[in-house]
Amino acid sequence: MNERLPIAEIWVYLSGSPLFALILTLATYQLGYVLYVRANRSPIVNPVAISVLLATLTIYLLDMPYEKYFEGAQFVHFLLGTATVALAIPIYRGFKNLKGKIFAMLTALVIGSACGIASAVSIAGILGAGDAIVGSMYAKSVTAPIAMGIAERIQVSPTLTAVFTVITGMLGAILAPFIMNFLKIKPWWIRGTAIGVGAHGLGITRAFSVNEEAGTYASMAMGLNGVLSAILLPVVVSYLRA
Amino acid sequence: MIDGLVQLFIWQGLGELVSKLLLPNIPGPVLGLLFLLAFLLIKGEVSQPLAMVADSFRQHLGLLFVPASVGVILFLPDLKTHAFAVGVALLVSVVLTIAVTALVLKSFAKAQQDE
Repeated sequence: MNERLPIAEIWVYLSGSPLFALILTLATYQLGYVLYVRANRSPIVNPVAISVLLATLTIYLLDMPYEKYFEGAQFVHFLLGTATVALAIPIYRGFKNLKGKIFAMLTALVIGSACGIASAVSIAGILGAGDAIVGSMYAKSVTAPIAMGIAERIQVSPTLTAVFTVITGMLGAILAPFIMNFLKIKPWWIRGTAIGVGAHGLGITRAFSVNEEAGTYASMAMGLNGVLSAILLPVVVSYLRA
Repeated sequence: MIDGLVQLFIWQGLGELVSKLLLPNIPGPVLGLLFLLAFLLIKGEVSQPLAMVADSFRQHLGLLFVPASVGVILFLPDLKTHAFAVGVALLVSVVLTIAVTALVLKSFAKAQQDE
């Protein structure tokens, strides 16, 4: 019996420090990323989904409260804001290649985004999904770091928003090529912009893996969509709720 | 690498400050993004360290929202009950967003060609 004690002690020590949650978060993501690369970067094998699945399962099996996990994982979470600031770089690079397309892009992304939000919110509402879920549909097409900032401002769950954002990105990255081929849309800048608006970060990765121009436009579209949503969504939501 | 990160933190801090004091409706990091964008447009180039940090963030953006997404564990019962509604809402909205954005751009491109 005595020989097993030290291991138990190490466990108590580790689970009390931020280290356990950090290792869990990073190691599951690393595993997901390796699988993703092995699968030739197929959007179906998504490293975030794998990491979330494994980490959730682990804390569930260990009976670890989410608050406890987050105490450690918050160091990773904190960098979301910094990553948001870094989106200025792809937007800047996009500006240099625009050649007078900015008006078309802004119009398209406002209309496209509005259709996406309206359909998600109304369908979830009509099918009776409850306030928490419906509210989290608003910001889900925006890149996750900005989406969660918006969620806090319009007082809906940042967690559900993040989860819906990840699912949206996966669906968009998988479906976008089929949608484009069905609509017979060929120009890379249009394909890139549409996938950047509809599938944010995962869409960009997909776009870059197919075509450099599509990737640049996707990054730019995602950044602009995020900025516009952050400015407009809180106003629209407070108007709808009034 | 470190000086790129420091630059980002400073823009982020500035954004948070302005958000707190002047524009509480816009998240601080988004303001930081706009400030940095304005700075880059004036300067006319992205410095090497900044580009490096930004690219590595872009590559592993997903990792950063794992901690929040794990919170899904708190909503599992709710999500299970409404799985169908969530699935349909997400699927339809994704297809609509992508299709509508692409079609609007296509009509713009066509109008330009016709001129």
